[in-house]
Amino acid sequence: LSYFCLFHSGAYCKMLLHAAKYPHCAVNGLLVAEKQKEKKKDSHSTPILCVDCIPLFHGTLALAPMLEVALTLIDTWCKENKYVIAGYYQANERTKDFRPNQFAEKVGARIAENFSEAAMIMVDSTRFTMGCYEPILTIYDHHENKWKCRDCNADCFEDWCEAQKITSALLEGRSYESLIDFDNHLDDLRNDWTNPEINKSVLHLC
Amino acid sequence: MASVSEMYDVTWEEMRDKLRKWREDNHRNSEQIVDVGEELINEHASKLGDDIWIIYEQVMIAALDCSRDDLAWTCLQELKRQFPGSQRVKRLAGMRLEALEKYEDANKQYDSILQDDPTNTAARKRKISILKAQGKSAEAIRELNEYLEQFVGDQGAWHELSELYINEHDYGKAAFCLEELMMTNPHNHLYCEQYAEVKYTQGGLENLELSRKYFAQALKLNNRNMRALFGLYMSASHIAASPKVNATVEKANVKYATWATNQINRAYQLAGRGTKENKCSVKAVEEMLESITMS
Repeated sequence: LSYFCLFHSGAYCKMLLHAAKYPHCAVNGLLVAEKQKEKKKDSHSTPILCVDCIPLFHGTLALAPMLEVALTLIDTWCKENKYVIAGYYQANERTKDFRPNQFAEKVGARIAENFSEAAMIMVDSTRFTMGCYEPILTIYDHHENKWKCRDCNADCFEDWCEAQKITSALLEGRSYESLIDFDNHLDDLRNDWTNPEINKSVLHLC
Repeated sequence: MASVSEMYDVTWEEMRDKLRKWREDNHRNSEQIVDVGEELINEHASKLGDDIWIIYEQVMIAALDCSRDDLAWTCLQELKRQFPGSQRVKRLAGMRLEALEKYEDANKQYDSILQDDPTNTAARKRKISILKAQGKSAEAIRELNEYLEQFVGDQGAWHELSELYINEHDYGKAAFCLEELMMTNPHNHLYCEQYAEVKYTQGGLENLELSRKYFAQALKLNNRNMRALFGLYMSASHIAASPKVNATVEKANVKYATWATNQINRAYQLAGRGTKENKCSVKAVEEMLESITMS
């Protein structure tokens, strides 16, 4: 029995745009999924669809207060939209460093408290290309207080070809310049961390 | 492809001024610097006068950031020709080697600078950056500490050290670095606010109270610092909810937290003007308020 999450194209592309906007920094964020109406208790687990991504911070990640603020506000937003926080992603500062650190595990565990199938996702920047030829994520699932690594391939996407096409197009078009993360929001409250403009661009390209 | 001046309808003077502003603000918007700087160099070099040399330096560093070794090389050659034997240019050559991940060669370059001039701070700091790039955090921290014993006034270095400590979860030492910065920059609201965040992360009632005080101080210095406002709310709420505090302390902190929530509410109203996302944030803030007054 293994849980798996499927990435919607918009969720995947926003993660990569976030990393692309701050290539010299660590970045992190949350993934949200649609809240499931009935919990199926049979042996086949229904895949969780990660429909959106909320980019959180860039630079120094390992501080608590703003993370708590973000989790509180985004949790409320999720309730309004019948979403649930389903995952956490992080791209480390050093390109070659794609393993989860203590901080990522902590945040992942915190999310898993509210959502048992939570995934922790690390972005592998060494394979980051404009063409997006392959998925560059590593997914970790929470099993018995440990994080177990699972490979991320085209099967982890609702539609990998679409995700690849959209992400590549938005990278080429430098859409990352207008991506808003929670840090940007704290700098100026008018900055919208739901990124409606990018969502529109994604829909256009679908 | 359209030129920058065509796309944004700017003159070469405006481009030059933009580069200067980015230089002064120490912005790392390397892609934009390359776009603007490359065009300026290619099309308007003769008009730039002596400014061109500092522009070559700025564009070179940005080019390294964008893996534009061709452009970086060009800038470096111009600078080498104009300033032969310059330590400053030698350092740039070292940075190019770093960008190519030729760390041994880069270190040799910096060592040769330090042989001629043991007080050259730039070369020493580049060597520490190499340690950081190689993931040798413990060594980077050790070297940076040694550097700061000699160059106690280097604020950038203190800040860098605080970040290195935070990444290692050594919040006590990170706080010490920020204390140094606050002492020499008592009016800087950002240092106050970062110090408060570190104290908060350290945890425990005493640190929470300290964090609340410094969030408040940051707000006094800049009443539009949202992180300080949120931080004040979070720290005061946690203190109020702690079983270790007496009724007086609890009451006082509920007051602080309530004040903070109202200010946050106001800030969102001002910014929101009824947009959908901000309505949600306002709702979240209202829920925060409810949660305090209920306790």
